[in-house]
Amino acid sequence: MKPSRFTAIVVAGIAISSCGGIQTALGGQAVQSSDFVTLFTVFMVVCTIMYFVIVGATIWAVLRRRRGSEACTVETGKHKVSTSASRTALVAWTTLIAVGLSALAVASFFTDRSLAAAARNPKLAITVTANQWWWDVQYTPDEPSHIIRTANELHLPVGVPAEITLKSNDVIHSFWIPNLAGKQDVIPGRVTDAQILPRHIGQYRGQCAEFCGAEHTNMALDVTVESIADFKKWAAAQLQPAAAPTTPLAAAGFNYVTTRQCSVCHNITGTPANGQLGPDLTHLASRKTIAAGTLPLTTGNLYGWVADPQSQKPGSNMPTMQIAPQDLHAIVAYLETLK
Amino acid sequence: MSSPFRNSAIALVALLALVAGCDRESRNSRGQPLGETVPAGASPDTIYPGNSQPPPLTAQAAAYENNAYAISQGQQLFTQMNCVGCHSHGGGGMGPPLMDAKWRYGGRINQIAASIAEGRPNGMPAWRAKLTSEQIWQLAAYVRSLSGQVPKDAVSARADTLSNTPPQTEQTPEPVLPAGSAQQ
Amino acid sequence: MRRVVGAAIAVAVVVIIAGLFWLNQPRSHHSAAVTPISPNGAKILPAAGASPPDDGNWTMPGKDYASTRFSALNQITPANVGKLQVALTFSTGTTEGFEAPPLVVNNTMYVVTPWPNNVFALDLTKPGAPAKWVYKPNPSAAAKGEACCGPVNRGAFYDNGRLFVNLLDGNTVAVDANSGKEIWRTKVADIQKGETITMAPLVADGKVLVGNSGGEMGVRGRLTALDEGTGKVAWIAYTNGPDKDVLIGPNFHAFYPKDQGHDLGVSSWPPDYWKIGGGSVWGWISFDPQTKTIFYGTSNPGPWNAPQRPGDNKWTASVFARDIDTGQAKWAYQTTPHDLFDHDDINEIILADLPYHGGRVPVMLRPDRNGFFYVQDRRTGQVLSANPYGYVNSYKGVDLKTGLIIPNHALDPKEGRVTRGICPASPGAKDWNPSAFSPITGLVYIPHINLCMDMAIQNANYIAGTPFVGADEKMYPGPGGNRGVLTAWDPINGRKVWEIKEDLPLWSPALATAGGLVFYGTMDGWFKAVDARTGKLLWQFKTGSGIIGQPISYRGPDGRQYIAVPSGVGGWAGAVVAAQLDPKDPTAALGFANAVKDLPTKTSPGGMVYVFALPQ
Repeated sequence: MKPSRFTAIVVAGIAISSCGGIQTALGGQAVQSSDFVTLFTVFMVVCTIMYFVIVGATIWAVLRRRRGSEACTVETGKHKVSTSASRTALVAWTTLIAVGLSALAVASFFTDRSLAAAARNPKLAITVTANQWWWDVQYTPDEPSHIIRTANELHLPVGVPAEITLKSNDVIHSFWIPNLAGKQDVIPGRVTDAQILPRHIGQYRGQCAEFCGAEHTNMALDVTVESIADFKKWAAAQLQPAAAPTTPLAAAGFNYVTTRQCSVCHNITGTPANGQLGPDLTHLASRKTIAAGTLPLTTGNLYGWVADPQSQKPGSNMPTMQIAPQDLHAIVAYLETLK
Repeated sequence: MSSPFRNSAIALVALLALVAGCDRESRNSRGQPLGETVPAGASPDTIYPGNSQPPPLTAQAAAYENNAYAISQGQQLFTQMNCVGCHSHGGGGMGPPLMDAKWRYGGRINQIAASIAEGRPNGMPAWRAKLTSEQIWQLAAYVRSLSGQVPKDAVSARADTLSNTPPQTEQTPEPVLPAGSAQQ
Repeated sequence: MRRVVGAAIAVAVVVIIAGLFWLNQPRSHHSAAVTPISPNGAKILPAAGASPPDDGNWTMPGKDYASTRFSALNQITPANVGKLQVALTFSTGTTEGFEAPPLVVNNTMYVVTPWPNNVFALDLTKPGAPAKWVYKPNPSAAAKGEACCGPVNRGAFYDNGRLFVNLLDGNTVAVDANSGKEIWRTKVADIQKGETITMAPLVADGKVLVGNSGGEMGVRGRLTALDEGTGKVAWIAYTNGPDKDVLIGPNFHAFYPKDQGHDLGVSSWPPDYWKIGGGSVWGWISFDPQTKTIFYGTSNPGPWNAPQRPGDNKWTASVFARDIDTGQAKWAYQTTPHDLFDHDDINEIILADLPYHGGRVPVMLRPDRNGFFYVQDRRTGQVLSANPYGYVNSYKGVDLKTGLIIPNHALDPKEGRVTRGICPASPGAKDWNPSAFSPITGLVYIPHINLCMDMAIQNANYIAGTPFVGADEKMYPGPGGNRGVLTAWDPINGRKVWEIKEDLPLWSPALATAGGLVFYGTMDGWFKAVDARTGKLLWQFKTGSGIIGQPISYRGPDGRQYIAVPSGVGGWAGAVVAAQLDPKDPTAALGFANAVKDLPTKTSPGGMVYVFALPQ
């Protein structure tokens, strides 16, 4: 295989593998991110052209010089006379720069306009509060009794502009769903906001983009963009209080969860567990991952997480408690009913 | 030895000494895997009949006493577990003050931890079933720091609340009066 | 020329700066157009039927169902009150905040103490008033850890040969007034959930009405009616929740559109927050026997951190009118929707009949925590007037058309920053300590406070049995520097007639007498008598401890008029003394410790009843 073809395939492969996937800034699955991808492409093209022009010109200048034109030094007394060729070159060069920069400025301007237009009439209000090291997500319509509270996941209806208000309970985090929008810092004591107008249905992954402590790398967000009908179904299910336990083991788990350590931090709507410190567990079993994307939601992972969270996420705020084996069975049985 | 070499050697030794000093505390985020408990009934200051002595602090209690990580975790837990609601930021309210010299049930760290774990008759809730032992020790370490018992390099230098008291690093330590002294 | 220009600029700068200072002056806000309700100045009277002729006894804390706290005895007058002297003293042995008025019936004085809620029956016919019996109910000591503002008790109620007492640990007892034997005991509140009971029950029409305390503990507030004879629960009216729990039925008519709708006690809260939303009933109840209606208010919503509970948060900080037999609500009015500052609505409700537009309107008069004196039609809840009786900058007024209070959003507490200079502070322009109404002068005598505060809020965690607050506060004196004030208020014209400034907050109730006097006590122990018409101080006596309890007046066995007052500092205001708090922390006692840092030098805990009379 010829070297140039080999290079081309390698480059293309890298490009494709990074363009696909659930967590890529080149995904462009929402208006905000696709605007970014467009702008990024314009910049890449313009700057690449300029790069090659400059590098080419530099090489040409160096090589041409070496072909033995006379040196312009103090000793020889010669000095460069500006020829018409060099004047033309100068004008052309300046024009090229001007055109290039103008292209970038115009592209940037239109991108800003597009972003502003997409943010203009939000139809969905969401409040995301960043904690160490999980995301508290609340859907906040006007009617307070319709507030939905979930954790570490975001469901967005496609084509509906969402306004996400961002707060932090402790340190600076950064809210980033690469496929959908850019980063937005979340600063304690301030309120910032992000807008997302998703365009493609799919499953994406967001994560914290500002170092926030020991478990910063394990602070991810599962983002589902779905049809409006599916979203409404999901929202209606989320508004329901927690399902009552039906089996004796789940009932024992319910007892443990609502009277022992769990209720101190966690909220399960419709039960006496109303702790406000940790993620809302009312519909835990409907999620795809636990511990802010650290582990997929499976029975085994639930067992492991509840038994010893510090081994999975050392330093996180959920302590490792001494839970007796039978209690552990009951707790996991109950948690799995929380669909 | 030539002068530059000697200077470098001295610098290297000094650097090693500094680095060794950096390992002041280790953070044990998992706690002990089994049965790290708060001792039950750590008795308040009382008569020890027959010339016996009050029990010394266990190594475990001493480990938490002046540990900066434990105190800062305890500071967080103090608000999160609603201790603030009854004890305010040390001044008291529904519950007695924790920043003064009077300790109804004892002011040593093991006595404070026992009060938190077991509850006390005039309304202090019992937290043994709700918090891990490690969390209770951390809270006890923080409570001790409210009355200035803890050296300044271990306490938190700031609070994230409306406090208006001088930071704990500038607090003068209160004496720890024996349990039960001058009570109503 | 340059010099002239320079001088002109200097003058302009000075003028601008001065103007900015002037604009920055704290201003009190009044609701628009304070129109006297009845310009003729015709007399305002206590509600017909709710205020029977005075028989010289004092059988309920409010003196009568209209809550006038007015004694018709007139032996003691401004002319002779200077000679008032101690006739009797009694030490209870308890030194917590002493709020309960002694009751006097059939020449027996009943004294109820704060926890442990002992009841003494003192025989007034014998010299020294020895105790006939002592009742010791032994309420649980753990309840003291659930009481936000001192393990206090606001009084017993005498009816039909029995005394009805609420115990701190959530039980209500009926005690035989002659023998001191307990007849029944019913558990009404659960301390494991953070509930206690501090209020004085109201007994009428065969029902004993008991409300729980715990607005700071995430409780579910409610009013429970017990059968007077057996103590069994007759009905429970919750404050928050669906209409069937709040006992809002087909006969319910809210006057204002803002209070109309279905299941507002659920829809105005985030999901499940109404279950832990407070709205406790720890204050005063009044009763209109003619219409068989009880009137009472509900406490603040929980947590104090308002952004955690978006919505109006009904029916906290509201006033209810209910039928006493069934508990069904007749109307309700939410005074302070989405309360931000712990402005409960539990203050006393004085029932009166007011001249209005040529006729007589049955009204309720209530000086609210939020600083406004409400005069409302008690048939419908319509607000006839709401004028500030203290300094208020956190609200701009009350819109009488919509019934809505107009917040000053510049002072909304926000997470992550401290909001300063909020007036009135959380205890309000007046807290629980009730005013007295004199039908002779037509004035309401309001003992209240002048405090402002800084407030910082943060996320509150709910753990049953622990506080659910999420706020730090620091209180300090309001404009003028005086922390207390006794205001004589004209409810018809909506204005203050005279006032007495006090250094310390006034936390004691007031007593008005037909003799033309108003009695009240200060937190450093001075028991004072002032002229009801002018406010001139005519007599004072320094008791052993700060006074936060209700003074009463009764006719003794010898036919003379006596004045009795409990003396024993405590409660929320006195916690820095009663609980020996450390004022180094200005947030202690939910911020009150900072406002009365000097109190420990001015008084100590105590627990005595003082009785005064003219010399023989």
